[in-house]
Amino acid sequence: MQKVSTNAQAKPAKRKSISYDKYGYFFVAPFFIVFLIFQLYPIFFTFRTSLTDAATWAKVLDNKIIGFDNFAKLFNFGSEISNLFWQSIGNTVIMWVFNFVPQIGMALILASWFTDSRMRLRFQGGFKVLIFMPNIITAATIGILFMSLFDFPVAPVNTMMQQFGLMNTPFEFFRNVTSARGLVSFIQWWMWYGNTMIIMIAGILGINPALFEAALVDGCSSRQTFWKITLPLIKPILLYNLVTSLVGGLTMFDIPHLMTRGNPDNTTNTVARFIYTQGFDSPNNFNMASAASVVLFFIIVICSLILSAIMKDRDKGAKKIKGVGK
Amino acid sequence: MKKIVALVMAAMMLFGMMSFAGAEEAITLNVWSFTNELEGMIEKYYAPAHPNVKINYTIYPTDGGEYTSKVDAIMASAAASDEAPDIFTLEAAFVKKYVNSAVTADLAKVGITEEEVAAAIPVMKQIGTNTATGELKGLSWQATPGALMYRASLAEKYLGVTTPEEFQAKVADWDLFMDTAAEINEKSEGAVKMVVGAGDIWNAFNFGRSQGWVVDNKLVIDDVLYDYLDLAVELEQDDLSNKGNAWSEVWFAGMKTDTTLCFFLPTWGLHYTLKPNCGLTTNDKMTDEEMKAACEADGGTYGDWRMVAGPVGYSWGGTWIGANAAKVEAADEAKKAAIKEFILYFTMSEDFLYAYAKDSGDFVGSNAVVDKILAEGGTPNPFLGGQDHYTIFAQAANLANGSIMTDYDEKMNSLWSDFVTTPYSKGEKDLDTAIADFKAQVTAQFPELVVE
Repeated sequence: MQKVSTNAQAKPAKRKSISYDKYGYFFVAPFFIVFLIFQLYPIFFTFRTSLTDAATWAKVLDNKIIGFDNFAKLFNFGSEISNLFWQSIGNTVIMWVFNFVPQIGMALILASWFTDSRMRLRFQGGFKVLIFMPNIITAATIGILFMSLFDFPVAPVNTMMQQFGLMNTPFEFFRNVTSARGLVSFIQWWMWYGNTMIIMIAGILGINPALFEAALVDGCSSRQTFWKITLPLIKPILLYNLVTSLVGGLTMFDIPHLMTRGNPDNTTNTVARFIYTQGFDSPNNFNMASAASVVLFFIIVICSLILSAIMKDRDKGAKKIKGVGK
Repeated sequence: MKKIVALVMAAMMLFGMMSFAGAEEAITLNVWSFTNELEGMIEKYYAPAHPNVKINYTIYPTDGGEYTSKVDAIMASAAASDEAPDIFTLEAAFVKKYVNSAVTADLAKVGITEEEVAAAIPVMKQIGTNTATGELKGLSWQATPGALMYRASLAEKYLGVTTPEEFQAKVADWDLFMDTAAEINEKSEGAVKMVVGAGDIWNAFNFGRSQGWVVDNKLVIDDVLYDYLDLAVELEQDDLSNKGNAWSEVWFAGMKTDTTLCFFLPTWGLHYTLKPNCGLTTNDKMTDEEMKAACEADGGTYGDWRMVAGPVGYSWGGTWIGANAAKVEAADEAKKAAIKEFILYFTMSEDFLYAYAKDSGDFVGSNAVVDKILAEGGTPNPFLGGQDHYTIFAQAANLANGSIMTDYDEKMNSLWSDFVTTPYSKGEKDLDTAIADFKAQVTAQFPELVVE
């Protein structure tokens, strides 16, 4: 920046021109200021708090560093708090997998239909809007909505299923592990497959159309085109989706918190809920909540590194092939 | 020169007037609360009587612990600042946490004497008192004793009961209560249940404990809680309840239709929960006449409810007014007097409480006013078929024991319900597993407690 401005000051003698370079910094400044205050500082503060005894509001202001005791508690397998923490990680992973696999599948199918030149789907815009719609509604609203839809013993879903003769007695969706987790996964899937689909469509449209034309000329079926051309070429996009969805999935909070409150028996208790209940329920164990956040942070970093390593390998592979071609 | 002197003099006079005006200026009180209930009362009664006091009213909802987080944060960081509340209200769920801490001021510090609060209903005063030191730290304008509401027509049809006295005899203790539950289920062939679910009797039943959740930093599971579980199992597995949760669809349906006989509700539950939900088309904006008409036109239960004391005296909910200790410490005499006047006006002033009771039907927290209203013949309530709710609530209010309230109640109650009552009564777990799970949760949540 220094250099640019001195240049700009030196030049006017020769030529009257205004340097617009510095305005760029003004435009990005708000983001960086907000980021520093509301993101970076809290992140460092969380790291620090995780090493202290800050278990109440008063102690947050007057804390002392006690080292890795809080982490030791989380990794002291068999103790109550450790069980609760690792159970919540397990729950999160299970609910994420059951949301992510169908999400990718559905998004891929829809994306390939919407981009298939032979199918020529009509009302594409309308369909895309409808599919994307759940993503626009606030998760809190959806959580409350599903809670009242699947309530027990009198609620729309139970009443309907009894009227259609599918069940004789009302079913308690939120007292059954499978259905409670299933509902959380379903909502996550329903909210996010539209978003994933849009990214997939963008990825597929980025593929050189000549490849599809060539496939068409060579007499490929739709299925062959999909498996042999579309899928291999959007693998980077798939991996990108995997990473963002992993980060989003591991920090899943609103739906389980509002809809099931972790019930039954903490089987829908996610890591984010664990952190929340430790930090903001009655005793305010901010130190434990911060330690759990740090562990979650490293889990996410490690998973993302593994995934990006896979991504990099693909790139290298692609370059080698190019090199061979030359 | 003269001009300058004159100017200086004039300026000084102007300043003098301004500072004089400043002294006369209204005292500002910051009031924090979690509903607009107190705000309405301030506007209607307090403000006209106190033109010199300006109230800054701030609301943070209790949902998701927002209110307590805000209070905790400001008390920890800037308790004496201008943004911090001078006066804040405390809900039953967390009143003990604050009156047992140094955050709330001892009301003696603002000059409230014991004589001035002698008429307060004992249970409310007991709850507003610091358990360890005995300092009075919170007072309430209402008492929230609970009673048992039941449907007169259903009781007559299936149980042959015609008066509240007869019904009280059938629910005088928990054994009789369960016998009646079995009787109504049998005679109505399962159409009418005694209560909606085990959660319904919890608020009454837990007042039968002899000890609170935590005594001397130790978790206490009172024997009475095991009796509660036996009842919960019977209600669930013998088909004696509607098997629903409180505040669910089926709970509200029970208030409008002929599916449920009884509700355990306190004073506010009668006025703000049962009454607005008594008809299929009623709502809380309606007057009594409109509700009655709506129930007659579209179906409902207006006027069919009666009230008895039930098996146990209990108190459920309530709002206390407390003062911020740091602000009281820093306040001058005028401000202290304003804080004292604010608290006493709402909780002890006979004129205000009488007017408020007459307007709202709420059960007020001063025995002097309660006695006055009872002496005048009480408050015949058309919703209760002309029965006087003050008489029954007054009985219950003086029966309830507030000493079992602890700082931990809210969280403990929900853990007990999620990990013991619900899974055990539904047959998902045996008792030992359920209790062990509960203790594990308590240990994980409250590392400082001793759990045996």
